[in-house]
Amino acid sequence: MVKKAASRIYIGFIFLLLYAPIATLMLLSFNDSRTRAQWGGFTLKWYVKLFQDQGIMSALFTTLVIALLASLVASLLGTAAALGINAMGRRLRSAVMGLTNIPLLNADIVTAIALMLLFMRFVNLGFTTVVIGHITFCLPFVILSVLPKLAQLNPNIYEAALDLGASRKYAFYRVILPDIFPGVMTGFMLSFTMSMDDFIITHFTKGVGVDTLSTKIYTEVRKGIRPEIYAVSTLLFLVVLICLFLYNRQTAIQVKKQRIAAERPVEYDSDASSSFLTLSDPQKDVDPEAELRARRRAKGWKIAVGSAAGLLFAVLLVYSGMQGRSANEIYVYNWGEYMDPQIITQFEQETGIKVRYEEYSTNEEMYPKVKSGAATYDVVFPSDYMVQKMIDEDMLAKLDYSKIPNIKNIGASYMKSAQKFDPGNQYAIPYIWGTVGILYNKKMVHEPVHSWSILWDPKYKGEIYMQNSVRDAFSIPLLMEGHSLNSTNKQELEQAKDLLIKQKPLVQAYLVDEVRDKMIGNEGALGVIYSGEAIFCHDENPDLEYVVPDEGSNIWIDCAVIPKNAKNKEGAEEFLNFLCRPEVGVMNFNYITYSTPNVASQKLLPKDIQDNQIAFPDQSILDRCEPFQYLGPKMEAYYDQLWKEVKSY
Amino acid sequence: MNNTLGRPVMTSPYLLWMLIFTLVPLGFMVYYGLTAADGSFTLQNIIAMAHPVHLKALWLSLVLALISTLICLALSYPLALILCNMKVNQNGFIIFIFVLPMWMNFLLRTLAWQNLLDHNGIINNILTFFHLPELNIINTPAAIVLGMVYDFLPFMILPIYNAMSRINKDVLDAARDLGAGDGTIFRRIIFPLTVPGMVSGITMVFVPALTTFVISDLLGGSKILLIGNVIDQEFMQGDNWNLGAGLSLVLMILVLLTMAITAKFDKGKEGVGLW
Repeated sequence: MVKKAASRIYIGFIFLLLYAPIATLMLLSFNDSRTRAQWGGFTLKWYVKLFQDQGIMSALFTTLVIALLASLVASLLGTAAALGINAMGRRLRSAVMGLTNIPLLNADIVTAIALMLLFMRFVNLGFTTVVIGHITFCLPFVILSVLPKLAQLNPNIYEAALDLGASRKYAFYRVILPDIFPGVMTGFMLSFTMSMDDFIITHFTKGVGVDTLSTKIYTEVRKGIRPEIYAVSTLLFLVVLICLFLYNRQTAIQVKKQRIAAERPVEYDSDASSSFLTLSDPQKDVDPEAELRARRRAKGWKIAVGSAAGLLFAVLLVYSGMQGRSANEIYVYNWGEYMDPQIITQFEQETGIKVRYEEYSTNEEMYPKVKSGAATYDVVFPSDYMVQKMIDEDMLAKLDYSKIPNIKNIGASYMKSAQKFDPGNQYAIPYIWGTVGILYNKKMVHEPVHSWSILWDPKYKGEIYMQNSVRDAFSIPLLMEGHSLNSTNKQELEQAKDLLIKQKPLVQAYLVDEVRDKMIGNEGALGVIYSGEAIFCHDENPDLEYVVPDEGSNIWIDCAVIPKNAKNKEGAEEFLNFLCRPEVGVMNFNYITYSTPNVASQKLLPKDIQDNQIAFPDQSILDRCEPFQYLGPKMEAYYDQLWKEVKSY
Repeated sequence: MNNTLGRPVMTSPYLLWMLIFTLVPLGFMVYYGLTAADGSFTLQNIIAMAHPVHLKALWLSLVLALISTLICLALSYPLALILCNMKVNQNGFIIFIFVLPMWMNFLLRTLAWQNLLDHNGIINNILTFFHLPELNIINTPAAIVLGMVYDFLPFMILPIYNAMSRINKDVLDAARDLGAGDGTIFRRIIFPLTVPGMVSGITMVFVPALTTFVISDLLGGSKILLIGNVIDQEFMQGDNWNLGAGLSLVLMILVLLTMAITAKFDKGKEGVGLW
């Protein structure tokens, strides 16, 4: 009895471990606050918004289509392979099994990049390449699920069927398939699950216009996940839960019936687990009548799978029809949560140009995609130093000012700042700008904050959040020591590295935009953050104040550019012109709270925001700030090396 | 011969597929790993693993992956024993419970642990409510280990459970009839018969734990550099694919070696799959 109770408690503990995060995510889907750091009360609004969100719905659809297609093909190919492997001699067999294990043993990122290299050489990345990638990593799961079933099979029954006059085909479908079907189903379900969960392979093998839930989530991790994502995940989870529950219940009932029909005592069923999604193997040890029923059920399954496949191909045909690049369409690649979706809707309605919108989370993630030509976008939004790098590498198209008359709305001072990385303003239109500074919690920091050096104060050990990107991290010690944040002096950089290493024990974590959620949730006293986030933080948690230290800081400018390989330059120009409209700038500011360089928009904002020192700081503050410049491949590599040394220390 | 089920030739579409989409891409990786940015042959990217930064990252990854694997094993084995002793007609349900969490996105599940483990997070709120000491492991190696154990536990439980439930009950009864005690039955029958399951489980947990970079980023506060992070950074940020490829090749060889060693313990002819 005690033993039984202990067992129950133990299972409960494991159960808790596995489901605590799931419960947390479900809870977050009902959270009224946009940030996951705070509980803002119960709401169902994200579920309503979810169904209006075209981006998420189409990502969900794409995810399901990819998963279905990949697991179906993998199941067919894998089952055939398993039958073949089963008939092989020992040596040949172990060679094939070794091959099968390769995708399982390789790090995902290696598999993903290897596949991308292959695809890029021969075809354009797109929807099909993702499916191929998924099939490749699903295949081993199918084979490894089916093989044990074949091993359990009594080889004589097939021969017996043939002896009794069954054709090979008939014998296979009526005798063999029902027995190995649970294994095939397991492989299918496992493939489906893995495909749904995959991010890395999808990311590297997808082309423009293909977005799955995982890739959407990944871009949002840094910016803070939108609550709609929790809602869609919760729904998906519940649907699967109910389906599997019903399926298991039905199987359980059938097994019971068969056992009664068989008039045999319930025995320990050694096969119960051979497929973990089905309760057990109902075809075992039962009388002919029950067997017949089981076969009929297997046939039912076949019909079900067949019709599902048919439906899928129909859907896919429609889908691939949608995929074709229509003449009047532009592909936009922007940072996560960096444009009011209303703007796109309005633009589409006004011009009839369809916008395909995709997101990335760092410059470095965007760069190889555009550079490799694996994906051709019409409008991209790189930051200052990345603009310079892309100009250096001849990746950008020159702007035609006559097609973008609204460019006059962009303030002269911003255009001038942009000349530091785009001489003559030939390629880039400033889109959003801001500063980098310290966000501090008044409740925890009781002294004036005016220097970067406070981030080295041992008093705040474990309460500091630093930026997790090379240049941002190094700019702080460089500025503190009175150097330029574009320093290429190796001695200065070594010194900066030593300072960062000295600071490391005090740092709670190196983050990017997640600093926002941590600071709102009172998880730290000081955080290095972008000014646009600071406004949002202050709104959510009034104890948070933002300051640009006296030593100066980085003024960053994210720009809109047209890549040289853009397919619809006219559409892109029209889009840029639209973005430079005064009222569009206001919409964007209200949505993302990052400062706009559009002076005509600035004039339309309420007075208190125009005077807000975070959004639009005085010239005296801006004079202390400097934009990043691209330092060339050698210097970038040097920075990266130093940063790795800091991180590994 | 004519009466055997299946023919080796049925494997050919699969082999063709694997050739094009696994071996050829791997060839690309080898090419990148053995060349410099200008395309000339070099071993520099392979030797780079000996750099102190990379060596330290590799060592840390090995240690953390090993700890996680052992914890997974220690948690899974008793669980499998308990599950096997339970009533049969609950098993299917119980097993799918362990797979179900995978239907929530992996990134989201790992992020949720941040909410749970934060200093003012859910767990600490509960602990404080009961006047218990706080748990402050977020952004430490302990949190990374927790994340690995959480994410990969099902891959250990299922093969062990699978191996265990396949043991013929008659064998156990026979042993008991012949006077064997519970201890002897476990030592002489159950344990040896579950070794293949454990080997599968160890592989399925150790390999992804060794190469992960997402878990260390999200739960380690990016303060702990694992070899997966190094490789990821070379590909995604550093723009140095040659170095990334070289390091992955070394890692791959290492993984294969580890697997070869573990396979020595597996005396079963086939090994037990995850399922």
